[in-house]
Amino acid sequence: MSARSNFDRTLKEIQQDILRLGSLVEQAVYDSVQALVKLDVALAAQVIMGDEMIDELYMQIEEKCVRVIATQQPMARDLRVAVTGIKILLSLERMGDHCVDIARATMCLSGHPYTVKPVQYIPEMTNIVQQMVKDGLDAYVKRDVEKAAEMCAMDDEVDFIFNRIFRELIGCMKEDPTNVYQASYLLYVSRYIERIADHATNIGEAVIYLVTGERHELN
Amino acid sequence: MSIWRFFRGIGWRPVASYFFMFLLFYAILELYAVQRINIGGAIAVSLPLAVGLAWVLYRRVIKPLNEITRTARDIARGNFYRQVNISSRDEIGDLARSINDMAARLRATIEEITEEKNRVQTILNSMTDCVIAVDRDGRIIMVNPAMESMFGITREECVGKSTVEVIRNFDLDNILKKVQAGNKPQTREIQIISPEPRIFHLRIAPLNSSSQGGAVVLLRDVTERRNMEQMRSEFVANVSHELRTPLTSIRGFVETLLESGTDDPEMTRHFLGIIATETRRLSKLVEELLDLSKIEERRVVHRWQRVEIPALVDRVLAVCGSHAEEKQINIKANFPSRLPPLFGDPDMLAQVLINLLDNAIKYTPPGGSVTVSASVENDEIRLDVADTGVGIPAESLPRIFERFYRVEKARSRELGGIGLGLAIVKHIIKGHGGRVDVKSTVGKGTVFSIFLPMDNPTVENNARS
Repeated sequence: MSARSNFDRTLKEIQQDILRLGSLVEQAVYDSVQALVKLDVALAAQVIMGDEMIDELYMQIEEKCVRVIATQQPMARDLRVAVTGIKILLSLERMGDHCVDIARATMCLSGHPYTVKPVQYIPEMTNIVQQMVKDGLDAYVKRDVEKAAEMCAMDDEVDFIFNRIFRELIGCMKEDPTNVYQASYLLYVSRYIERIADHATNIGEAVIYLVTGERHELN
Repeated sequence: MSIWRFFRGIGWRPVASYFFMFLLFYAILELYAVQRINIGGAIAVSLPLAVGLAWVLYRRVIKPLNEITRTARDIARGNFYRQVNISSRDEIGDLARSINDMAARLRATIEEITEEKNRVQTILNSMTDCVIAVDRDGRIIMVNPAMESMFGITREECVGKSTVEVIRNFDLDNILKKVQAGNKPQTREIQIISPEPRIFHLRIAPLNSSSQGGAVVLLRDVTERRNMEQMRSEFVANVSHELRTPLTSIRGFVETLLESGTDDPEMTRHFLGIIATETRRLSKLVEELLDLSKIEERRVVHRWQRVEIPALVDRVLAVCGSHAEEKQINIKANFPSRLPPLFGDPDMLAQVLINLLDNAIKYTPPGGSVTVSASVENDEIRLDVADTGVGIPAESLPRIFERFYRVEKARSRELGGIGLGLAIVKHIIKGHGGRVDVKSTVGKGTVFSIFLPMDNPTVENNARS
């Protein structure tokens, strides 16, 4: 086998590994919010345990990327594949960490049903974020610049919902001090979800850079 | 022996022609030798002979051979209906017949294989389970239409890609790798969250034919089944909860009475009153539960008969009327002059209307109104119960027919609701071959509409069986 085809295969492997990590993170985002909404402690614990696998896979793939850069010294587009690989990996890993944060918050909130209303916006917000993560990875698979840009535009919607949740939670706390405990945790949680959306836009930017070689700030 | 075998394959025709040509050659040579002819004469004799021989050779051997070659090429290209049109009784004819024979056999075999392939394809196409076949490197060779519609992908999009590019699921990918490494089938239940969260029963089996290392992935959607199971366990939890609440209160008051004695007659009376209310609640709950399960299992013998709608509504109003008067709610009945009769069980249909009216009265503030109206729409009779009550929030609308679902638990319990009324309505109407619809605006009111088929004997038979 020639050096070139061997190199191509390694790049392809890296991409598939990234998708594999992406699938784990997508699941973690879904599970952590499901656990939060249903106050399902077992599912939250599963998310926290699952993060170890995400971290391990992350390190393995990053190692692969670094090795490709060191040994093959790729140029132009090949170099971009390896470099954006590392960027996307980092974003995914951060998303995984936020999922753990959400799961931890679920642990703290468990045992008492929700009394604050704005909790109902969280699934709405998560649906958009979930779609963003999915579209980001889809855009990466298909090298679809348009899809990546569209996905990044969805971030505004997330910010909008985040601001609404923020305002209403503050209102809840002012209204009734017994809400403060729940509301403050939910503030954190909505912040984490909002951060996940930001990381998704990072993936979109990385895809655009990968295809066109140009950098765009999209959020 | 081997010499015999060598000669056996030779027919008399080549031997005879070689002998004849040899004789001619010998004759010309002999004539030349005895100087009867000179070299020019020999050429003049042999040239026409050679031309004649060449012509015979061309007609009998080369031309047919050319045709056979052309035909064979055609057959190789896949045109199995091509035939060689040579019917001479010599070796060339034999060859042509063999070629024709081969073409026919090939044709039959290919048709058989195509048929078989079509059959397999039809089976795969008609399967509701998703099927993916992958090769040794994990690249997709084939997906079936169920797969395409379930995941919103097309065959062209995914053939040649790896599974993780098409279905991003870590478990699926992991198990696939394990199967390819261990060559043993694996079964598991997995959750795939896009395009929508669904639970699948996954089975991956290795392909043991020529494409060593490949595998077949089967995905069966079991979301519905899991949801049903969850609903059942939720139902049990709900029933237990509903039973526990009145029981706790009864027990509390009974224990208080036991401990503090019955010295204070007023207090005792008050406590006994609460106990009586809670006991009534309990027995009502148990009765409704039994009713519901009977209706659900269709164990109830429907007393099918003609039901006149005005008479039915009168009967229901006699039951609910006093309640409405107490709350100062105006009940109106609104029918066209000629209404076709309904077909069904009058008691059950009355139960449906009682449940709907009861709810309407319960959730309408004093001074409001409740309207019962009937009309004929297409082939159905439509019964509406409209109120000017508090309304139902949009997000609760799809769930109100679920057992024990209540929009606001505390308020409903305060009003004596158990959360089974609408479930009973839904099941009775379903048993009558009809459907229930609801429209509501918060703060304005709610309209429940029942659609029942007009005098339809087939429904009657179905419901009876």
